Formats: sequence, C-alpha cells, structure tokens
Amino acid sequence: MKIFQIALGILAAIGGFVDIGDLVFNVSAGATFGYQLLWVVIIGVVGIIVYSEMCGRVATVSGKAVFDAVRERLGFRTGLAALVSAQVVNLMTLTAEIGGVAICLQLLSGLPYRGLILLAGVALAIVVWTTSFDWIERIFGYGGLCLLVFAVAAVKLHPSWGAVGHGLVPHVPSQSPLLYAYFAVGLLGAAMTPYEVYFYSSGAVEEQWTPKDLGLNKANAMIGYGLGGFLSFALMIVGGALFLGKGIEPEFLGTIAMGAEVPLGQIGLVLALVGILFAVGGAAIDTLFSGAYNLAQFLGWEWGRYRSNSGAPRFTLTWVVLLVLGLGLVMTGVDPVQLTEYAVIFSAVALPLTYIPILLVANDRSYMREYVNGRLANVLGLFYLVVIVLIALTAVPLLILTNAGQN
Amino acid sequence: MSKTINLGLHLVDRQLLDSEDRRCGNVDDLALEGGPGEKLEVVAIFSGPGVWRWRAGLIGRFSAWIGGGSVVRIPWEEVASVSAHVKLRKRAEELGLGRGDDRLRPFIQKIPGADL
Repeated sequence: MKIFQIALGILAAIGGFVDIGDLVFNVSAGATFGYQLLWVVIIGVVGIIVYSEMCGRVATVSGKAVFDAVRERLGFRTGLAALVSAQVVNLMTLTAEIGGVAICLQLLSGLPYRGLILLAGVALAIVVWTTSFDWIERIFGYGGLCLLVFAVAAVKLHPSWGAVGHGLVPHVPSQSPLLYAYFAVGLLGAAMTPYEVYFYSSGAVEEQWTPKDLGLNKANAMIGYGLGGFLSFALMIVGGALFLGKGIEPEFLGTIAMGAEVPLGQIGLVLALVGILFAVGGAAIDTLFSGAYNLAQFLGWEWGRYRSNSGAPRFTLTWVVLLVLGLGLVMTGVDPVQLTEYAVIFSAVALPLTYIPILLVANDRSYMREYVNGRLANVLGLFYLVVIVLIALTAVPLLILTNAGQN
Repeated sequence: MSKTINLGLHLVDRQLLDSEDRRCGNVDDLALEGGPGEKLEVVAIFSGPGVWRWRAGLIGRFSAWIGGGSVVRIPWEEVASVSAHVKLRKRAEELGLGRGDDRLRPFIQKIPGADL
C-alpha cells in the first residue's frame, strides 16, 4: 500500500514538526500577535521541506545520514563542535518531550506527575526496544493525527478570515517589533529544528530506500511537513481566536488542549490530549534516536534500529543512556514548556553547522551522480542558509532582550 | 584503483564498511610513503580514537583519552573500493575493527528481546 509508505513523513511531521516546541510557540504566537505571524510558518515549512528532501536524497543515494556528512565535510574538530552542540540541544528537547508525555498522562489520568515520568520512561524504553522502525512510525505518526482536532477547533472558533489572510502576507507590526522578531525566530527554529533532519535522513537509511524511492522521499517531505505546517496554522489560529487580548499565556500544555475543548467540548479535549501525547511521545523517540544516530555516525559505529538491538550494540547503549539522562533531568522538576523554549532558541544557533554540510554533500557529483542538487534545490538551499545564519545570529540576543518572550 | 581522489576530501573522515557492509569505524588518518622528490603513496589507513591525539590538539588528546586511545592500522591492500564509503576486503574482526561493538554485544544479548 503506497499510502502507508508516507509514514516516515507523517511521523517526521507529527513527532518532529509538531512537537512540544511547535505547540508552545504556535499557540503563544497566536495568543500574543493573533494571526500576524502565519507567514513565518510558511517560510519555516518550505525550509524544512527543502532540506529534508535534500538530506533524504543524500541518504538514499549514498547511504550517508547527516552526521556522516558533518564528519566528512567539517572534519574532526569542527565536526566535534557540531556534535556537542547538537547533543546538548537534543538532550534538552528529549527532556522537554518526556516531560510533555508525563503531563499529558497526568491530564488524562489525574495520577501524580513524578510517577508518570517513570511510567513514560519505561513505556518509551519498551516501545523502542521491542518495536520495529516501521511500527514506531505508524503508531506515533497516525496516533498524532488526533491533533487534526485543532483544525476543526480553528474553524469552529470562527476567526476573522480577513485577518487570517492578512497574516499570510509578510509584515512587521509597529508595536513591540522585538517581541515579534523573537516569536518569528522561535517559529522558524521550531519549524526547522535540526533533529528533524537527523531523524529523517537516518530514517531513509532505516527504511533502506534506494534511488527508486526518491519520489517517495519527495512525497514524504512535502506531504509530511505540509501537514505539519497545516497543524501549525490551526494551532496559531486557535491561539489567536481564543487567547489574544485576554492576557492568557499558554504556559501549560493543558491550556493548549483547552483550545480544542472550548469549541468542541469534552471530546475535543480528549482528542487534543491524545494527539499531543502521541506527538510528544513520537518526538521523544525521534530525539532519542537522533542522539544515538549522531554519535554513532560521527564515530563510525554500526547504527540503526533495522540492525536489531544487539546488532548495533553501542548505538543501543547510547539511546538507553540518553533516555536515563533525560528521565533524570525531568525528575529534577524542570518545567518542560520553559525548557522547550530554550531548546528551540539554542537549536537555532546550531542550525548552520547542520545544514551547511548537507548542502555541500548534496552537490558532490562524485557519489550523488545524476542525483546532485538541481538549480531549484540550490537556490532555495542557499536562500535558507542565509535565513538560518540570520536566525542563528539573532536568536540568543532576542532571547535576552525580550526576557524569553515575557515582556 | 587508478582514478584520482582528493585524500583530504574523499578519504579522510569517511565511514569504513567491512566485507559484509558492517560499519566499523572511520578513516581517521592515512600513512603516506615516499621520500623527497618521490611520488607519495598511501600505504595504510589509521582508524581509532588514538589518532585524534595527533590530529586535533588538546581537544583531540582529551577525546582520545575518553575513547580509550586505540589505533588500528589497515594496510591499503585491504581496501576494496572508495566511494561514499571506504569498503574493505575482509570482515571487521579479522582487521581488528569494530571491537567496541563486539565487546558490548554479549551484555546486550543477555536482555530479553535483544534480537528484535
């Protein structure tokens, strides 16, 4: 069934694109600026489609996932700097996602938070240990589709469609431009989070794609991230229609789920929570694997879920250690939503070191042969490289100047 | 292999694959031979954390220490082909590569479901 083959794209979209960072940034952006930042979502979505397609193609043709390319093009020293920054941000994200899973479980069950953190950790470990890559994609990708309830909620809230249309046109408001810029950078950072391409490119190797599957790669990137962008739109519209001007900052995942409860009642709330649960659960697995992929690829170890747990021992040990570290960090009581904001902003700083090697390798004819970047991929790739460098340079100053979006 | 390759770009830091396509380390450095005025020839590949000690300064020495510092020398005759990866003629065990994975495997195999 062809339709099931876009599962990688769906999981990448649900678990990678619409993770806790996007939930927080999209709804907060809506609550603060209404629909005025919708155009930024479009820029972010096209960017992630361009680079996912590129790294998926590189992985398919050459068998090289992102950190393989990073090591090859940046060498040991600069590559190591890229690795360390990627792993730090990845661990922060993983921690935030595990916390998100526990919060969802708490909202659904009413049981104590700390116990549910442990439950979340054990459940994730069992799923990753026993389930094949295909089934992980399907379970979390399709489970996360419950998030579509936010699209229904967005329509039911009867937003001013004129204002929505205006938000699709790039502009800068006269009021609080710095805060606006902070949200724009956050939205782009959340849309183009590096772990999405780590996971996506390694996923292409896990799925053992061959050049025959390049059409599938394109479809996965476009449909998957297109869907992610659609959900981002819905979240921002819900945030704008429900929270704008009411002084409500969606600081809790529960507040975000309320966005579906207000127009749709109990069923909306449950669907939203289940959708968020699968989305953040999928993202937890994406980041868990990404951390292990990166280390293994940089050091030349055997890697991949398709090799079985004992077939890639150091890869397996790495994800187990990362899971234990993430659980330990959530247990300290750190607020997952706040952590995710920092993770998104810091990941923006790590973006260039991830995307430059992909662009270089995708242009290497010696092993990409006829599948090297065409003109369109290069023009878009270079354009986004400029965007990425701008984001990387402004992310931390904006974080400080706006007190992490609080002013 | 007679075609020209750029050693820095197309050989160093590439993934090593053994004869059964197992990933078993990277090309961390090369051994070159040839006196002044003579043609340089690649005679071996070095792989292992110990190589970083002489490649990457203080950070390299620190990384080598963490990684255990071993170095494996693979004679150039054992290289089957160079493309996106460097493919070897023998199995990793025969060349002394991938030992970290081999040492860890028995422990992982004790856990139920290790072969899933």
